Amino acid sequence: MGETIVEVKQLNKTYPDGTVALKNINIKAYKGEFIVIIGPSGAGKSTFLRSINRLSEPTGGEILFMGKDIVKAGKRDLRKIRRNIGMIFQGFNLVKRLPTVRNVLHGKLGYMSSVKGAFGLFDQKDVEEALDILKRVGLEDQAFKRADELSGGQQQRVAIARAINQTPQLILADEPIASLDPNSSRVVMDYLQKACREEGFTTFVNLHQVDFAKEYADRIIGIKDGEVFFDGTASQLTDETIEALYSKEKTKKQEAVV
Amino acid sequence: MKAASIQTDREGHKPPTKDLYSEYRKRKKILFKSQATVFGVITLLALWSLWGTGFNPLSIVTGTYDMFVFMFTDLFPPDFSAIGSLIGPALDTLYMSYVGMVISVLFSLVLGVLAADFLTPHPIIAAISKGITAFLRSVPAVVWAIILVAGIGLGPLTGTIAIGLSGIGILGKAYAEVLNSMDRDQIEGVRATGASWLQVMGQAVWPQFKAGFVSWSLYKLDMNIREAAILGLVGAGGLGYYLQSSISLFQYKTAAMAILMIFALILLVEFVTAKLRERIL
Repeated sequence: MGETIVEVKQLNKTYPDGTVALKNINIKAYKGEFIVIIGPSGAGKSTFLRSINRLSEPTGGEILFMGKDIVKAGKRDLRKIRRNIGMIFQGFNLVKRLPTVRNVLHGKLGYMSSVKGAFGLFDQKDVEEALDILKRVGLEDQAFKRADELSGGQQQRVAIARAINQTPQLILADEPIASLDPNSSRVVMDYLQKACREEGFTTFVNLHQVDFAKEYADRIIGIKDGEVFFDGTASQLTDETIEALYSKEKTKKQEAVV
Repeated sequence: MKAASIQTDREGHKPPTKDLYSEYRKRKKILFKSQATVFGVITLLALWSLWGTGFNPLSIVTGTYDMFVFMFTDLFPPDFSAIGSLIGPALDTLYMSYVGMVISVLFSLVLGVLAADFLTPHPIIAAISKGITAFLRSVPAVVWAIILVAGIGLGPLTGTIAIGLSGIGILGKAYAEVLNSMDRDQIEGVRATGASWLQVMGQAVWPQFKAGFVSWSLYKLDMNIREAAILGLVGAGGLGYYLQSSISLFQYKTAAMAILMIFALILLVEFVTAKLRERIL
């Protein structure tokens, strides 16, 4: 195993209304791993991902990212951590009224002075880099169109480009293909996996589709009722485990195999 | 309750379609009743207000006649020779409207951001900001002008500040509402890249806010011209002041010219703002 990128220790999240979303999650992710997280709706997959870049505040535990505790990070540190973590959302979350290339340039905001970034004063080098990344995801022809003129699959590729432009150590993809048709889903997953291989960053992807998970993942983590239910390779994930993972009954947790 | 009793009657079997249809009818009836109530209340309120204002359809008919007599004998033809002396007051009205808008925009931007639920530094600050805008809004510009005339004296400065103050009330609320109705996901997307507060404002909030900002601000400029004319009546300068003084001197033909001038100004500003809106959006 290579270098440890993220180490999640005893992570807990309880919402103000008392709902327990995450219970004592322990996960270690290594450099370059493509990890797919599966589990029923409401199991806590999304909360887990959003806790890692603190879009959702954990209520207990530690998340060590490159050795630094994200949970305890102050505002300035959090900004530095976030620029090293790319995020891809189900709804793409691009700024719709801005051109595609500008959305990709947003990946550089964390590295710029606040004022320059606010007014969108990007250097020539940054713009050329952004256009280059757009070419890599096959969208150079769409560079100057408004983001909302693109199809769903194309928008998600722009979101991937934005994340790549952050030169991140880690990518979090929260249901990236849930609102796409099967064909675009495959294209998006291919680009995501390719980027992960080429850039060498670690990737967490939440998925609903178990078949996609088995096809793309180096490692699969099953989350059920806010706990890690399964952690292993695709071949170790048996049909029985899948059934137990998605069944409504409380089942005894499978021991982590890795 | 009814539905539950149907179910127990049938010993837990699904209620057949016929019972569901009667349930549908029942709900439809309730809906109809509430709609009829709302309609009835609105009608009653309208009748009450008509009675309260002493509304008399006949007075419209007779009044129209008197109105036309007044217009044709006293107002027509407008005194076109007064144009020269009207240019100054017309410009005053324009200045008042424009500077008033700029004042409102600047203060409303701050108050609007502070009042928007997800941009405010603290809910208490949001409440205070909303309170200030609500207060400014509840006092009409004319009242501000009357108060300010006492302090600053007669003239366009009074009108400008009065328009500015009441404008903050309107634009502050409008901006806050536009900001609140924004798509938070787009903002989250930019925030997740490690962007600072200012960068999120510039790159995710502004692109979404721009259209609403421009059209509300230009709409206010439009309204300000009308308001500025009214403000003149209480001594806050501009065309309204001229209008008021010529009426009190019974120079109706000069007054008619002032009215035409106001009309022309409104049309002009409306035309220009429409063009601007097209350009910017």
